[in-house]
Amino acid sequence: MALEKQLELGDREEKVRKQTAVYVYEAPLRLWHWVTVFCILTLGITGYFIGSPLPSVPGEASDNFLMGYIRFAHFSAGYILAVAFIGRIYWAFVGNHHSRELFIVPVWRAKWWSEVWHEVRWYLFMAKTPKKYIGHNPLGQLSMFCFFVIGNTFMIVTGFALYGEGLSAGSWADQVFGWVIPLFGQSQDVHTWHHLGMWYIVIFVMTHVYVAVREDIMSRQSLISTMIGGWRMFKDDKPD
Amino acid sequence: MSDLNAANLDNSGRRIVVDPVTRIEGHMRCEVNVDENNIIRNAVSTGTMWRGLEVILKGRDPRDAWAFVERICGVCTGTHALTSVRAVEDALGIQIPYNAHLIRHLMDKTLQVHDHIVHFYHLHALDWVNPVNALKADPKATSELQQMVSPHHPKSSPGYFRDVQTRLKKFVESGQLGLFSNGYWDNPAYKLPPAADLMAVAHYLEALDLQKDIVKIHTIFGGKNPHPNYMVGGVACAINLDDVGAAGAPVNMTSLNFVLERIQEAREFTRNVYLPDVLAVAGIYKDWLHGGGLAGQNVLSYGTYTQVPYDKSTDLLPAGAIVNGNWDEVHPVDVRDPEQIQEFVSHSWYSYGADESKGLHPWEGVTEPHFELGPKTKGTKTNIQELDESAKYSWIKAPRWRGHAMEVGPLARYIIAYVSGKEYVQEQVDRSLSAFNQSTGLDLGLKQFLPSTLGRTLARALECELCADSMLDDWHALVNNIKAGDSSTANVEKWDPSSWPKEAQGVGINEAPRGALGHWIKIKDGKIDNYQAIVPTTWNGSPRDHNGNIGAFEAALLNTPMERPDEPVEILRTLHSFDPCLACSTHVMSPDGQELTKVKIR
Amino acid sequence: MAQIETFYDVMRRQGITRRSLLKYSSLTAAALGLGPSFAPQIAHAMETKPRTPVVWLHGLECTCCSESFIRSAHPLVKDVVLSMISLDYDDTLMAAAGHQAEAALEQTLEKYKGEYILAVEGNPPLNEDGMFCIVGGKPFLDQLKHAAKDAKAVIAWGSCASWGCVQAARPNPTQAVPIHKVITDKPIIKVPGCPPIAEVMTGVITYMLTFGKIPELDRQGRPKMFYGQRIHDKCYRRPHFDAGQFVEHWDDDNARRGYCLYKVGCKGPTTYNACSTVRWNEGTSFPIQAGHGCIGCSEDGFWDKGSFYDRLTNIKQFGIEQNADEIGTAVAGGVGAAIAAHAAVSAIKRVASSSHKDQGEQES
Repeated sequence: MALEKQLELGDREEKVRKQTAVYVYEAPLRLWHWVTVFCILTLGITGYFIGSPLPSVPGEASDNFLMGYIRFAHFSAGYILAVAFIGRIYWAFVGNHHSRELFIVPVWRAKWWSEVWHEVRWYLFMAKTPKKYIGHNPLGQLSMFCFFVIGNTFMIVTGFALYGEGLSAGSWADQVFGWVIPLFGQSQDVHTWHHLGMWYIVIFVMTHVYVAVREDIMSRQSLISTMIGGWRMFKDDKPD
Repeated sequence: MSDLNAANLDNSGRRIVVDPVTRIEGHMRCEVNVDENNIIRNAVSTGTMWRGLEVILKGRDPRDAWAFVERICGVCTGTHALTSVRAVEDALGIQIPYNAHLIRHLMDKTLQVHDHIVHFYHLHALDWVNPVNALKADPKATSELQQMVSPHHPKSSPGYFRDVQTRLKKFVESGQLGLFSNGYWDNPAYKLPPAADLMAVAHYLEALDLQKDIVKIHTIFGGKNPHPNYMVGGVACAINLDDVGAAGAPVNMTSLNFVLERIQEAREFTRNVYLPDVLAVAGIYKDWLHGGGLAGQNVLSYGTYTQVPYDKSTDLLPAGAIVNGNWDEVHPVDVRDPEQIQEFVSHSWYSYGADESKGLHPWEGVTEPHFELGPKTKGTKTNIQELDESAKYSWIKAPRWRGHAMEVGPLARYIIAYVSGKEYVQEQVDRSLSAFNQSTGLDLGLKQFLPSTLGRTLARALECELCADSMLDDWHALVNNIKAGDSSTANVEKWDPSSWPKEAQGVGINEAPRGALGHWIKIKDGKIDNYQAIVPTTWNGSPRDHNGNIGAFEAALLNTPMERPDEPVEILRTLHSFDPCLACSTHVMSPDGQELTKVKIR
Repeated sequence: MAQIETFYDVMRRQGITRRSLLKYSSLTAAALGLGPSFAPQIAHAMETKPRTPVVWLHGLECTCCSESFIRSAHPLVKDVVLSMISLDYDDTLMAAAGHQAEAALEQTLEKYKGEYILAVEGNPPLNEDGMFCIVGGKPFLDQLKHAAKDAKAVIAWGSCASWGCVQAARPNPTQAVPIHKVITDKPIIKVPGCPPIAEVMTGVITYMLTFGKIPELDRQGRPKMFYGQRIHDKCYRRPHFDAGQFVEHWDDDNARRGYCLYKVGCKGPTTYNACSTVRWNEGTSFPIQAGHGCIGCSEDGFWDKGSFYDRLTNIKQFGIEQNADEIGTAVAGGVGAAIAAHAAVSAIKRVASSSHKDQGEQES
């Protein structure tokens, strides 16, 4: 809010300047984003092949470790994803106010909801012009929370519960996440839901990438470059 | 036939209730009326459990059905699984490789041998043997007896029997009688001399050790026992004798050797212990020729142990039906014919809707549980004192062959095989009967001896011998077939449900340890649409039908004198001779496309 | 009681010296994974303890647990029944029937109040007032509750008593429930499996007799010593799994070489049991060794997870029967199509609006 005001003020003060740039995504956050991208790609591909393994390899078992490597990559990426996510949560406390958008969705604010509605209309081609946003647009924020924060948490929790099975009873993963298994019924159920979770994330990624590209082209601010350089560029000087 | 009808039974005498009937599989109740001379004049047998397994099967993958129906019974474990995969293969037109045929036979006969031995020693023996009386035995006399009845059995020294006796003595003196507590040990119905009782106790323990070894054939081919694994299209245990990885393969040289040893052990035990024991018991109970019931009248077998795959005329124990005691005529049996096998429910806790007297072939079977007690019942719904057999009184349906109540089981198979001219069986039966006549000084004919409680028990032992012997043939046939270059164990052409027809129906049959077993299946869109099983104890333990025909259990109990009506030794003796399996008999399914009526929780 | 016979007495009169008893004890300790320091404790327990009364009840079941129990080789079941426990009631094996059997039960419940172990095979149905399973003219449920009242501990044999098993599979027409649903005030040791391994059954009992306490249980009430690991974790075919070598079809070359059964639906990776370590029937083999995948029979609700031959199991929560990949590809396909359509409309709009803008600029 304050920044938006500042922006408006800036608009008034610097009439000559055609476009505005705001520093939104700090370096750790950007790093986290791309690490997570890498992890999700790795996890999705390796996870799929854990569920439906590749054709059998020839030769002695002792000379091959294909499933082992696939699983190792899956577990490593899972660890990195989880640690990065914890780092991301930490950053929500110490970073700028945009770093909290992911976790705190202002569902209690009527104005926010009206902007969600505006965005929905924009995506349904009912509104002619989109609004300007420094951080996420409200609809984006809502989907990020539902798809990414919840989806990622679900995958981390079920993932480590399953990982704990391999680490054996009494391991840290079993002690922290072991309760998940009986909650779902049995190990097979957790596997099934974890697998379904993958598809949830796949759908998130598809939508996320599409919307990022589309908004980069059609909205009034930069998106993809922002997640690289951190600066949000606005394409026009018109208010809001 | 006429005296085996409800109309001719006298239920005016004293009513005796036995519930639970123990040393059987599952839950069963029996009520009898005895007259003033303590002779049973009316018998009512009731299956007291229902699980609804076929209801549960509806909509499932037919390839999974074997595992569900295998859990019908853990005693005759595997026989339902085998019958189920046969039904699915019949429906889909799958023929299995010869190796799979032989391995299935080996597994099936393993069950037969195991089940018969455990039945005789651990479920049936205490009806004839008094372990407390064994304490009075002189181990030397037992040793002499052992060497006389079975010269080849190695465990026959006086020292051995003394050890067994000492162990038994300590057990009894401990005051904790465990399984033997409250037995009928002073009942005059027990007639064995102490020396024989001690020998039987020793064999009870030997059989307990042996039975755990015989089943290892299941473990080799099916991975575990109870409940080995079966598979549609063949067997899962791949054969690898001489290639890389053979040591980790299911069937290799070591496992074949292992199986051969188990077969030899089974043959030796059957010859040296089981058969001599049965004949010894029969010799001493020579006057106790009760319990014939339906056996002399109506018997049924689907035939089993087909030598040439898919050619039923090569069955070692042939199919057939005998009715009205006419042993000169064996009728052919067609399990697909809707007129031959039908189930009735007029005295069962199920409903057929308006017409309670109709009979339904299993492919068209209907099952709606309908628990309802007759007006003459004594007690309440949840505390039954005496049942009213004129109304519904059992969780077992009443299957009939062309309207006749039939007895099934080893005795039925043996009567049919004998009169069909199977030489192996004829030799066995003639040899046993002459041994019995010789030892007792009697001169009984076949028809006098076989249809009895003792005859039923003997037929089971003879069948055990037949199975153990023919397992050896199967083993050699398997090795020869592998030697000829055939290692195939599964036909996977129709493994994928997309290769199946949209609709199919099939029937699988087998002769289970307790008798004729049939599974009828209907498949639609790759899923089970209807599943029905008629199992041996459904035949034998069947309640009455609308015409008053009584089932084999009830028939066999009639006219049996009881020493002490309060102590059901004689009832147990005859019931056990059928080896009842109640979990098997009491489960049924909803009709085509019709949901099971919702059972209300009251 | 004239004289209470201990396990040591039994061994003594079988000609076993105290030295060999100690040896036996150390073997037992090793078998239970306890280490040699426990051996004297086992020996002491066997020398002094009278036989513990056990009441074994049968509900809706198939009796496979009893059958498995009598397969035990270490210890032999005859030694268990004659010398270790006093099996005072078990309708499958006991001599007495009817009233005399019921009387034997009552005697034990009274005489050993609070001391006997209740072992339950099968489970109670709740529908039809419990009359889908009748014992002595009354619902089995009554007998179960009655016997549980003064039991020291309760053992749930097999998957029926532990989870519900086959009769509780959908739609569970008799409303059969695992025993912990009706016995809520007693420690229950779940020994699942259909059936459990014989030596696991006797192992649980001998552990209790030897140490005078119930074994350590996991979150779901199973003894950790036998159910702490998945079959997959100790499977002899595991190297083939890690290598990526699988049986692709039944009876293919890979099946003959003993490759991993993962692709043909083996549930070893999700099943907690001792099959791959203790193995079955005196260590003879186990399902995977015999070429058929594990069907997961010691897991809760294993009947309702789709075909035993599918790797990915069906999800029934949506009222449709589909596995995760079928659902996932369908939904992702739908979303992909929606995105493509949306992108196309966006592009058209953009072209339209930019040409409109161009026009506007020209006009101004």
